[in-house]
Amino acid sequence: MNAAVRLSVSSLRAHRRRFAGTFLAVFLGVAFLAGTLVMGDTLRAGFDSMFGKAAGGTDAVVRSADAITTPGESQGVRQPVATGLVRTVEKVPGVAAAAPNIQGAGQLVGANGDPIGGQGPPTLAGNWITDPQLNPYRLAEGRAPRKSGEVVVNRGTAEKGGLKIGDTTTLRTPDPVRVTIVGLATFAGEDGMAQVTFTGMTAADAEKYLTARPGEAASIQVRAGPGVSQRELVDRLSPALPQGVEAITGQESAEENNEMISSQFLDIFTLFLLVFSGVALLVATFSIHNTFAIVVAQRTRENALLRALGASRRQVTATTLVEATAVAVTASLAGLAGGIGIAAGLQALFPAIGFPFPEGDLVVKGLSLALPLAVGIVVCLGSALLPAVRAGRTAPLAALRETAVDTSGASRLRAVTGTGLIALALALTLAGVLVSPSVWLAGSGAALALVAFVVLGPVASTTAVRILGSPLTRLRGVTGALARQGALRSPKRTAATASALMIGVAVVSLFTVFGASLKATMDQTVSRSFAGDVAVSAPSFGAGGSGLSPRLAGAVQELPEVNTAVGLGRGVAEVDGEGRALTVTDPAALERTFDLGRVDGSLRGLGTDGLAITEKEAARQHLTTGEKAQLTFTDGRKETFTVRAVYGQSELAGDYVITRAAWAPHRTQDSDTLVAVTFKDGVSPDAGKTAVEKTAARYGNPEVQTRDEYAQSSAGGIDMMLTLVYALLALAVVIALLGIANTLTLAIHERTRELGLLRAVGQTRSQLRAMVRWESVLVAAFGTAGGLSLGAFLGWVLVRASDGSSDSDFAFAVPPAQLAVVALVGLAAGALAGLRPARRAARLDVLRAIATE
Amino acid sequence: MTTTTATTATRPAARVVDAVKVYGGGDTAVRALDGVTVSFPAGRFTAIMGPSGSGKSTLMHCAAGLDTLTSGTARIGDTDLGGLDDRRLTLLRRDRVGFVFQAYNLVPTLTVAENIRLPLDLAGGRGDQEWIDALIDVVGLRDRLHHRPAELSGGQQQRVAVARAFAGRPDVVFADEPTGNLDSRSGEEVLGLLGRAVRRTRRTVVMVTHDPVAAAHADEVVFLADGRLVDRMESPTADRVLDRMKAFEVPS
Repeated sequence: MNAAVRLSVSSLRAHRRRFAGTFLAVFLGVAFLAGTLVMGDTLRAGFDSMFGKAAGGTDAVVRSADAITTPGESQGVRQPVATGLVRTVEKVPGVAAAAPNIQGAGQLVGANGDPIGGQGPPTLAGNWITDPQLNPYRLAEGRAPRKSGEVVVNRGTAEKGGLKIGDTTTLRTPDPVRVTIVGLATFAGEDGMAQVTFTGMTAADAEKYLTARPGEAASIQVRAGPGVSQRELVDRLSPALPQGVEAITGQESAEENNEMISSQFLDIFTLFLLVFSGVALLVATFSIHNTFAIVVAQRTRENALLRALGASRRQVTATTLVEATAVAVTASLAGLAGGIGIAAGLQALFPAIGFPFPEGDLVVKGLSLALPLAVGIVVCLGSALLPAVRAGRTAPLAALRETAVDTSGASRLRAVTGTGLIALALALTLAGVLVSPSVWLAGSGAALALVAFVVLGPVASTTAVRILGSPLTRLRGVTGALARQGALRSPKRTAATASALMIGVAVVSLFTVFGASLKATMDQTVSRSFAGDVAVSAPSFGAGGSGLSPRLAGAVQELPEVNTAVGLGRGVAEVDGEGRALTVTDPAALERTFDLGRVDGSLRGLGTDGLAITEKEAARQHLTTGEKAQLTFTDGRKETFTVRAVYGQSELAGDYVITRAAWAPHRTQDSDTLVAVTFKDGVSPDAGKTAVEKTAARYGNPEVQTRDEYAQSSAGGIDMMLTLVYALLALAVVIALLGIANTLTLAIHERTRELGLLRAVGQTRSQLRAMVRWESVLVAAFGTAGGLSLGAFLGWVLVRASDGSSDSDFAFAVPPAQLAVVALVGLAAGALAGLRPARRAARLDVLRAIATE
Repeated sequence: MTTTTATTATRPAARVVDAVKVYGGGDTAVRALDGVTVSFPAGRFTAIMGPSGSGKSTLMHCAAGLDTLTSGTARIGDTDLGGLDDRRLTLLRRDRVGFVFQAYNLVPTLTVAENIRLPLDLAGGRGDQEWIDALIDVVGLRDRLHHRPAELSGGQQQRVAVARAFAGRPDVVFADEPTGNLDSRSGEEVLGLLGRAVRRTRRTVVMVTHDPVAAAHADEVVFLADGRLVDRMESPTADRVLDRMKAFEVPS
């Protein structure tokens, strides 16, 4: 065996404990990364097979060719095709069967009166396709719907809602429809298509409730005869179709669906997790670097002896690097196993908490293993490189000197570089935020600020620890003073230890500040533009829910307490070739319940050819009151509208407002997303709300909220996001803790003699423990303080940058309570990290510590 | 036991009776102390001498409560150390015992003044400021109070250690080779300091050394060999001690 390798092996064996922290840091980072990649692949494969099964018996899909996509949406809106086209399609040679697929939103109400699903996955209703090969659902029990009001639901939905065959319940389309369940269906042998709820009605019912006009379907599904491939089928179908209608293969349809899920959700989800594994690994880098730096410092004598005995620099460096490699490889391999475990655990966990993930075996691709392995090894070796080189530089003479702690403070070069970096970071950020809004400029400034903080750490640590530690001396007397001295001992080490925690805390604070700012923005939006007393909205998230019945607004308007009730629906159209969301409403009433700011022109009498737009859109499209704009609807029809009003504020009301009458010819399933209500003078808010609730109960019981409640519920998603972010960042904080604990343990080892002396002259064990704990808390306090300020700054940058690059105004808010909690958690983390080293230090044998060597 | 009848003047400050200390066990067991009985009278400067491995450091560690005896008893004043748990032992060391080590063992991050006050600060008391002031003058470090140990010479550091040992007015100060790391002039200063402290303030000092010149500063020398007490010598001189030590080299 090579000498360097032999030395490393014996050192590793002798100092297993030292490397436990490093091992764990690498292990956690790699496990998280591998888990993310494996889960991403597994989910993708799961969705892939799910859509494959859904399209299983369908060889071609006939649908309208054009889709209008509005900004911020990946899935376009398509106009339906005429059901009559089925007969044309059936006549094409090679077609075995064709069926219209009528689909829309339809949410079932469970046995307990609560709607089923709606928190993410779609809640769908459609016609029950009678051709068993074209229908991805199979009847498991009961029978197919035969007459109006009869439905088949997938078994999972029925179980979730406590429904069984023979039960009568309500289907919100969004108009409540009484339906009787006559059959339960399965999807590819499972109880449903993941968590999607499906209600199958008769074709006539589906046409009646789910489409704007009878005789329309979302698409036509076609099955090929024997010996006709999907491609051939499409080639034969295409010439037979009218203009504006296209045919694609079943496989293409499945791929499209899969892509949609990927781009809309999976990619973002995976990227999100990858960012957090990146943070975790970054934090790990600091912990690992620190461990090796200390190990090398402690081994100065040993290394010097090796050099004196004739070992070359390279051999001494190699010894350290071989150790690092051994730790890296074992920890990374263990991390891979852990990652697969994480993915398996999450796969089991997600359905339990209602996440819409399809089932399937874990998909472990080579890349998902190779990448984390490589990253783990590179991170570990990279972190150990500098200490290893330093080890090689040990002068042989050092063997004769007393081993000293590296107490060198920060060099002037470091201070100058750090200050320069900070200045550059500030300049970049401010330029990106204030001068010419650019997310990239601000982003690189923010990244640079992070680097500058790390560089400046040792410079700042002395002053910061002195200030942070000064109350400690007063509070805890000599124990506190000694703890403070300990933290001041080696500024570089203190800074490196704290950096790990700093990054974790910075990211947490960044999200906290950003989340609070988003909430403040929502709040501001609602309080600024919503002038109504109560809002009625259907609680939904993602693709679920079914909206509000379009008749609700009218019914509420009839109430004696109500002054105005206005329903807002959503439509899409292309303006100048760009997809735009339209607000479909009664514009005159809109003005009474929303503050639209300065209005130029009049919202009354828009008629079927009038349009109201915001100032921003007016500027963008170069339109003023009285001018004409051409709108292209999903059905391909172009119509010319006259701009009758330009208003100032677009929040809630949207950028384009047209009347229901103007939208009616182009609409699909009719629903409102919001009904805003103002009460008559003298009606108490409670009485008004109760009256509206009573009416709403007849229309599927959507939620009635006061202005404050509405503002809060709009921000509800943010809390959910923050919770997830905190959970993920806990990992980074754990790694930072490991780093602090490890550094402290090693520092104590270095100070054995000094601690022994303290014990000899009368320091009690509990005093010693307190001293070590406080030292840990001080280091954590330094990291937390740095992280909080960096995080708050980055949060401000993010808010300002978002403000600059989007239409709506962003409010900046710093939540003192939450940040105080973050700070407390940071300090508690420090105390926790100090527990074990403190116990170990207290166990120290006094005699051994002071014995002369 | 005779402790009850002993008068205050001759009362021993520290004492070990039938002290046995065995390291390890079985075939490799080493008897570092093999039945030593010795008392260190109050107000006296006693030196413990003996060749390497004679057990002199072990005797001091056990007498001072840094280590525990395998059998026999060790007392500081009237307190039996064997009956104390770690916490009480620590408090005893803090309040009634002072230490001077060969390697100075100052806390590098504390100033001279802080190092001297360390045992008092650990005890949380204010101490006797006049006493401390007087001590600082005796060791001659008034102009160095705000320096850190690294800025002092070895002799100065050891003088700080001496001042620290006496800061809490301990019953007894144990010094383990206090001059081992010093040149002869600095060593002389430190020994003179210990002697003056004993004679002027009626403190008790027990010093382990292998240097006959150092031992000559003591009032009495006790000689150890192979874990046993072999001789005592009143009012020693360097020559007499050297002669006595030479006798150990000849197998008896």
